[in-house]
Amino acid sequence: MAIATTGRVPARSTPRRRRRTPGTARAWEALLWLGPALILILGVVVYPAITLVATSFNTYDIVGLRKGPAGFTNYTNFLTSPDLGQVVWNTTVWVAAVVVLTILVGLALAQFLSKEFFGRRFVRWAVIVPWASALVITSQLFRLMFDYYHGIINQFLMGLGIIHKPVDWLGDPAFTMPSMIAVGVFVSIPFTAYLFVAGLNAIPTDVYEAARIDGAGAWRTYRDITLPLLRPAILIGVVLNMIYVFNSFPVIWILNGSNPGFGNDTLITYMYKLAFKSSQHDVGLAASAGLFNVLIILIAVGVYLRFVGWREATKA
Amino acid sequence: MKKSLRLGAILAAATVASLTLASCGASAPSTSTSGSVKSIKVVIADYSKANTGPFWKAFATKYEKTTGIKLNLQIIEWNDLDQQSSTMVQSGNVPDILNENAYASYAADGLLYNSDEVLPAATKADIIPAFVKSGTYKGKFYGMPDLSSARALFYNTDLFTKAGITAPPTTWDDFTADAKKVTALGGGSIGYAQPLGPEEAQAEFAIWLFNNGGDFKKDGKWTLNSPENIKTLEYMKSLSVTEGVTQNNPGHTNRTDGAFSLFEQGKAGMVVGFSPLQGALDTQFKGVKYAIAPMPSGDGAAPQTYGVTDYLMSFKKKGNQDAVKAFYKLYYSPDEINTWIKAEGFLPVTTSGLKVFGSDPKLKVYLDTLPNIHLTPTDDPEWDKIALTIKQNIGLAVAKNGDPKKFLDDLQAQAEAGK
Repeated sequence: MAIATTGRVPARSTPRRRRRTPGTARAWEALLWLGPALILILGVVVYPAITLVATSFNTYDIVGLRKGPAGFTNYTNFLTSPDLGQVVWNTTVWVAAVVVLTILVGLALAQFLSKEFFGRRFVRWAVIVPWASALVITSQLFRLMFDYYHGIINQFLMGLGIIHKPVDWLGDPAFTMPSMIAVGVFVSIPFTAYLFVAGLNAIPTDVYEAARIDGAGAWRTYRDITLPLLRPAILIGVVLNMIYVFNSFPVIWILNGSNPGFGNDTLITYMYKLAFKSSQHDVGLAASAGLFNVLIILIAVGVYLRFVGWREATKA
Repeated sequence: MKKSLRLGAILAAATVASLTLASCGASAPSTSTSGSVKSIKVVIADYSKANTGPFWKAFATKYEKTTGIKLNLQIIEWNDLDQQSSTMVQSGNVPDILNENAYASYAADGLLYNSDEVLPAATKADIIPAFVKSGTYKGKFYGMPDLSSARALFYNTDLFTKAGITAPPTTWDDFTADAKKVTALGGGSIGYAQPLGPEEAQAEFAIWLFNNGGDFKKDGKWTLNSPENIKTLEYMKSLSVTEGVTQNNPGHTNRTDGAFSLFEQGKAGMVVGFSPLQGALDTQFKGVKYAIAPMPSGDGAAPQTYGVTDYLMSFKKKGNQDAVKAFYKLYYSPDEINTWIKAEGFLPVTTSGLKVFGSDPKLKVYLDTLPNIHLTPTDDPEWDKIALTIKQNIGLAVAKNGDPKKFLDDLQAQAEAGK
């Protein structure tokens, strides 16, 4: 590092005096600059990825001892496991519901937060809190709030007379997934709302002025000006939320913690159970599930981007 | 947010996010050192925040002073212990001493020292025979017990008096009738708090089936779907589904934050508990008046006590045999083991410990039964998987539409197939 910084590549401060045209740095020089990032990528991305692939092609017994090569048996066992259909369905419902609700609520909230009003600073802080606290803590709090006997949600609803006996939010199959989705939306909103606030701020005010002069109403302005100009932000919001929500472990793990079987698991918690909690207790099998998960999310994101015409949208 | 973000970048981000989450451990060759080790790694389960850490830190200091070997202590929560220990094995980074509730799978893999190699003969002779038996795999003693606990029926005497019940139930018919009476008190009273969620359901199942002449294994053969076991599970299911005397949804209730907490709040008439629950009731929940009784019997035989022991097993590594031996020698010295067991509120595993604890009237109800205690078949590696299946799925079998017989038939098939 020290050698490189002694006047060798003063690219940023004096770009005009650069001796070579951009993109033609010597290989060792480039490596020196890229080194730290490359080491990081090798360590936290490439190495675990290789290990994951290697693990998925080996057999391990219950204590985690390698027993020998497995070929594709981990993959075939995973893909033929009887619970997979239910788990994939749960994952689809979970991701789709959380992302759609998050985007809708996020849009409304962003609109609200970008207006001037008394106490806006306070409200903006309040919105950020769920994001600032650890997911595990938030989930644990919700678990307490949803509790059948002592949970505040049941007491509140019964106090208002909306329900007459407690609802088993986290145990009744009809309510478990909706409850988890509600928490999923709650923790996803801050990021999404702020993404949209930034998007709204980037829209030039003269466009709105022009619309007003042309006599466009509020709804028309929103539909024909705000939404189209927010499109890049919405696309990014959807893609990042798809990935976050798909990979979300703590919310489901904690809220679904006392339920038997795999009836409410998503692919992520299912993978963890395969490795450490189920009777299979098999890291090889779980590794093949892990690779499957990576493929699924890549395909889902790819299909989504193709469907919405990504390249066109980002040119806006 | 304009052109700079490309599809490729997003896909790369997706890959990173997924892979980082997905990757489990690594497999690397195990490290070996020549000569004697300078330090040992000891992985201990966290029994309680207040006592486990202080005891083991003091123990480590003593160990280092007497042996000159450094003791690297790692205390891990029960919920994470199994995951961490299997990751350690998978990555070839096994500890020297591991505290767990199962040992047989490790023994079957040939990873452990047996007692002839690391345990002083006098110490082995001091351990209660029932625990030596449960720690023995294929004729060798691998699973050294660190402490034990026994389950019994806890009942809320206030609720019993209010319901007009004078004595704890001795038969299952009495039990059902008493639970009904407590439930009938209303005001949120629950006859019996039944934890059949994934946390510790195998224990709840075990204590009921042992008291109905059932067992998991008899004469070396799996008897998971024996008529007694099927009857037991059907009875357990009936408590919630037909009699309605349990808390809401037992199959979805864990022990610690579910059944125990209902009893601690004085809402539940009965629960199967053990000495740590007693400790909590005597210190934190003094308002709950309770008594402890033997389990009611389903088949008219004398009540059986279900016991649990955890293990301190030692892994074979080059040069660590003497260090491990010194560890056991110090741990089983009466001052150490009894201090710890007392602090945690558990029961002894040694004959000398029985004498020390015998003076405590609160423990008498358990101590009398300890030598004849009924344990789960932890000496069979297959049990480790059976127990996982019970924990994970028994909650479904006792649900309204659950099928106890089919669940046990499947369990038997799993055990016989050995997978």
